[in-house]
Amino acid sequence: MNPCIHCDQDVVTAYFSEDDRTEGPFCCRGCLTVYNVIHAKGLSEYYEIKKNVSFFKKRAPVEIKTAQYSFLDDKDFLKEYSYQSLNNERTMEFYLEGIHCLACLWIIEKLPEFIPGIRSSKLNMSRSVVSIVLKPEGKFSIVAHELENLGYHPHALKMNQDSQDFKTKEERSSLLRIGIAGAAAGNIMLYAVSLYAGAGPEYATYFNFLTVAFAIPVLTYSAFPFYRNSYIALKNKSLSIDVPISLALIMGGVMGVYNMFNGINENYFDSLSALVFLLLMSRYFLKAIQEMGLGTTDLHFFYQGESVLKVDEHDSERFLEIHPKFIQVNDLLKIAPMQIIPADATVVSGETYLNNSLLTGESELQKVGINADVYSGTMNMGSEIIIKVKKINKETRLGQILRSIENGWGHKSKIIDITNLISKYFVGIVFLLSVALFIWSYREGNTKHALEQALTLLIVTCPCALAIATPLTFIRTLSKSAQKGIIIKDDSVIEKLSRVKNVFIDKTGTITQNTLKISSFYVLQNSAVAPHDVIFNLERHSTHPLAVSLKNYIKPLPTKPLMVSDLKEVPGVGVSGIIDNHLYEIRNHSIFEDHKVICTFEAKDTIRLDAKEAIAQLRHHNVNIQILSGDKAEYVSAIAYEAGLEENEYQSGLSPENKSQIIKDSEHSLMIGDGANDAIALSYADTGIAVFGAMDISLRAADVYLSLPGLIPVAELITISKETMKVIYRNLVLSLFYNSISVVLAFTGYISPLTAAIIMPLSSLSVLISTLIGTKKLRILWK
Amino acid sequence: MPFLIPIALIMAAFFIGGFIWMTKKGQYDDLETPRHRMLLEDNIKVTITKEGEL
Repeated sequence: MNPCIHCDQDVVTAYFSEDDRTEGPFCCRGCLTVYNVIHAKGLSEYYEIKKNVSFFKKRAPVEIKTAQYSFLDDKDFLKEYSYQSLNNERTMEFYLEGIHCLACLWIIEKLPEFIPGIRSSKLNMSRSVVSIVLKPEGKFSIVAHELENLGYHPHALKMNQDSQDFKTKEERSSLLRIGIAGAAAGNIMLYAVSLYAGAGPEYATYFNFLTVAFAIPVLTYSAFPFYRNSYIALKNKSLSIDVPISLALIMGGVMGVYNMFNGINENYFDSLSALVFLLLMSRYFLKAIQEMGLGTTDLHFFYQGESVLKVDEHDSERFLEIHPKFIQVNDLLKIAPMQIIPADATVVSGETYLNNSLLTGESELQKVGINADVYSGTMNMGSEIIIKVKKINKETRLGQILRSIENGWGHKSKIIDITNLISKYFVGIVFLLSVALFIWSYREGNTKHALEQALTLLIVTCPCALAIATPLTFIRTLSKSAQKGIIIKDDSVIEKLSRVKNVFIDKTGTITQNTLKISSFYVLQNSAVAPHDVIFNLERHSTHPLAVSLKNYIKPLPTKPLMVSDLKEVPGVGVSGIIDNHLYEIRNHSIFEDHKVICTFEAKDTIRLDAKEAIAQLRHHNVNIQILSGDKAEYVSAIAYEAGLEENEYQSGLSPENKSQIIKDSEHSLMIGDGANDAIALSYADTGIAVFGAMDISLRAADVYLSLPGLIPVAELITISKETMKVIYRNLVLSLFYNSISVVLAFTGYISPLTAAIIMPLSSLSVLISTLIGTKKLRILWK
Repeated sequence: MPFLIPIALIMAAFFIGGFIWMTKKGQYDDLETPRHRMLLEDNIKVTITKEGEL
C-alpha cells in the first residue's frame, strides 16, 4: 500500500478522507485531520511542495492533542517568555515538533496570511524554532492552537536566554576567525608566490612586509583558540594536538618578524595561515554537525508536558490552564487520561492506572487510588484524577534522576583520544630532534644558522595533516550516520564504540515495542452479539492499554455500531454494558455474556521486528550481550528467548540504581535503552544509545540517538566506528610519514619556506583523499 | 604598475570589512533555512496570484 500522504510513514490501517474516498491513504486520524485543516485553509500547495523534496526526512504521524494554550496569554507567562518591542508588538519563540522539510517551512511562514494578528513568522529549520511576532491585538494562544491544528506541536521557549546569546556570539566569532584567516591566507599566497618566483629587490622587501602584516591578525586573532586550548592543556599537565600547532605558529611568527627586521625576505606565513584556515574550518564543521544532534538541550520541559489544568483556588469548579513551570507545592491539578504527571503528588480524588515504565521499567500498570503517591514522569492510563502537588522540579524523583545523570556525565570514563595521545609523544620527539639539530649545526660553528635550523624543524613538523584529517574523518562519519538516522552527539563516541566489549540492553521499549498486542483470542461459545462487535461498542471510548490493543485487534474485521445502554467503565476491572437485553462485560482477559464466558484472550508486549536480527549482528562483533530489566523474571526470560538470547544473558528485577552499578562495574560498556529508568545507566555507560521513541531524559543522557525505529543501526554503528578508526590510523601513518620527510630534509639542510609550502599542502591533500576513500566496508554502508 | 597593489589591498580591506559587518549583523546566524527559503520564493508568488483570482 502507498505510504501516508501526510507523513510518508507506512500505513497499517488506512484512513481515507470522509468527503472524498479517493484522497488518502492516511496512517492515522491525526494525519487526516491535519490534511483537512490544510485544505480548508487553501494551503493545498503544501503537498505539491512536499512531493518535490527528498524523502529521507520522514516525519512522525501526527498526534492531535487538545490543549487550549490559554496560559500563553497569561501576563506572568508573557513577561518571562516573550519580548515586547517599542511599538507594542510581542515576539515569542516556539519549538515545533514535526518540522521535516521544505513544505513545513512554506506553511509556517505563511501563517500571517491566514491567522489574524500575526505580523511575521520566521522558521529556523536547523533548530526547529519559529519566531512569531504578534501585533498588539493578536493572541499567542490562537497561534499555538493553529500550529497544533496543522500538526506541529508547539512548545514555548524562553526568550533571550543568556546561553543562547552566548552561543550566537561564539558562533559569530568562530566564523569571523575563519573568514579573516581565509582572506589573509589568500592575500599572503599572492605575495608569497611572487617572492618564490623571484620578485625583484625593489618589490621583495615591500612584499615581505605585506605578508607579515596579513599574518599578524591570523596568528593572533584567528589562531587564538589554539593558544587557549594549549594553555588549558598545559595547565592540566597534559598535552593536546593544539600544543605542537601553537608551538609551530608562535615559532613561525617569531622567525618571520625577526627575518623581516634583519632584511631577510623569508617566512612561513603562507603555509601557516593556510594551515590555520583549514584547521579552523574542519573544527567548525565538526562542531556544527555535532550540534545538529544536540538540539534536545533546550527541551527539558518535554517530560512535564506542555500545559496542565490547575483547580482554581477560589472556585473549585473552575480550571486554569497553566504552564508546568508555574506549578507550586499544594496546587491541585487535574490529570486527564494519557497525560504525563508533571510533579510528585498524592491523589486527592479519582482512581486510575499509571504507567510507571519510564521510572521503573515495569511494564505492568500500577493501580492508584485516593492518598496514593504518584510521581512526576508517569503517565495516567486510566481515568481522570485530581492530585495535590508535594514536590516540584528538582525535588521530584525525576528531578533527582536528572541530577544523577549530570553526575554520570562527570563520571564518564574519559578516553584520551588517539590524536592527543600521539601529540604527547610527538611534542617530546620533535623537541629532542630540534635540540639534536641545533647541536649538530652548532658544531659547524654558526650559532645563528643552527638556531634558525632548529626553529625551522619545529615549524615544519607541525602535525597539521593529522589535526585536519581527524575532524574531517569524524565529520564524514557523523554526517553519513545522521543520514541513516543515527544521531551522534560527540566524536569521541566513535573511538569508544570501536572498542566496545559489553553490550547491555533494556527490555521494555528497547527490545520490545512497549505496546500490548493480542497474542491469542479464543471464542468459546456463540453469543447473540459477535465478540468483535462487543469490543467495538463497549471499548469505544476506553483508553486503557488493553482496550487499545483489543481495538487494534478487531480493526481488520467488519464491525457495526449498536445501541449500548448502561455503559460503565470501572478502572481496574473492565467495562460493561447492555446490548439487545444482554449484559456484556469485558474483564479479566475474558468477554462475558450474561455472566457466562464467551471468549478469552491474552495480550503481551511484542518484540521489535528486527531485535533478533540485530542481536545476531551484534554477536559478530564478539561482545557480551546482557538484557537488564526492571521487569519480572518470567516476562524477561520469554522476551530474551524470543530475541535469541541464552539463559545467562539476562537479568531481571533491577532498579535504575542496580542497572547503573552493573554498568559501572564493567569495562568498555555500551547501554541501549529508552526510558527514564535507563537514563542513569545510559549516562554511566561508556556509550549510551537511546532508541527511537525514547524519552527526552534518556536523550540527554545518551551519546547516540536513533531517529528511526529499529535496533539494527546499533550493530551497524559498531561496524562504522571500527572502520572509521581504521581510516584514522591510516591518516596517522600518512601524516607521520610526511613529517619524517620534513625531519630528514631539515637535518640535511634542504628545508626552506618553499619546501614547506609544497610538503604541507601535499600531506593535507593525501590525508583528505584517504578520508574520502574510507574503507571497503564503509563504502558499502554509506551507499 | 605600482598602483595595482594598493588597489588589491583596498579591495581586500573592503571585502574583509564587509564580511565582519555582515557577521556582526547576524547574516550568518542561520545557515540552514535560507537555502530552503530561496527555493520557495517563486511558488509563493504563484499562490498569491491564485488566491487573487479566487
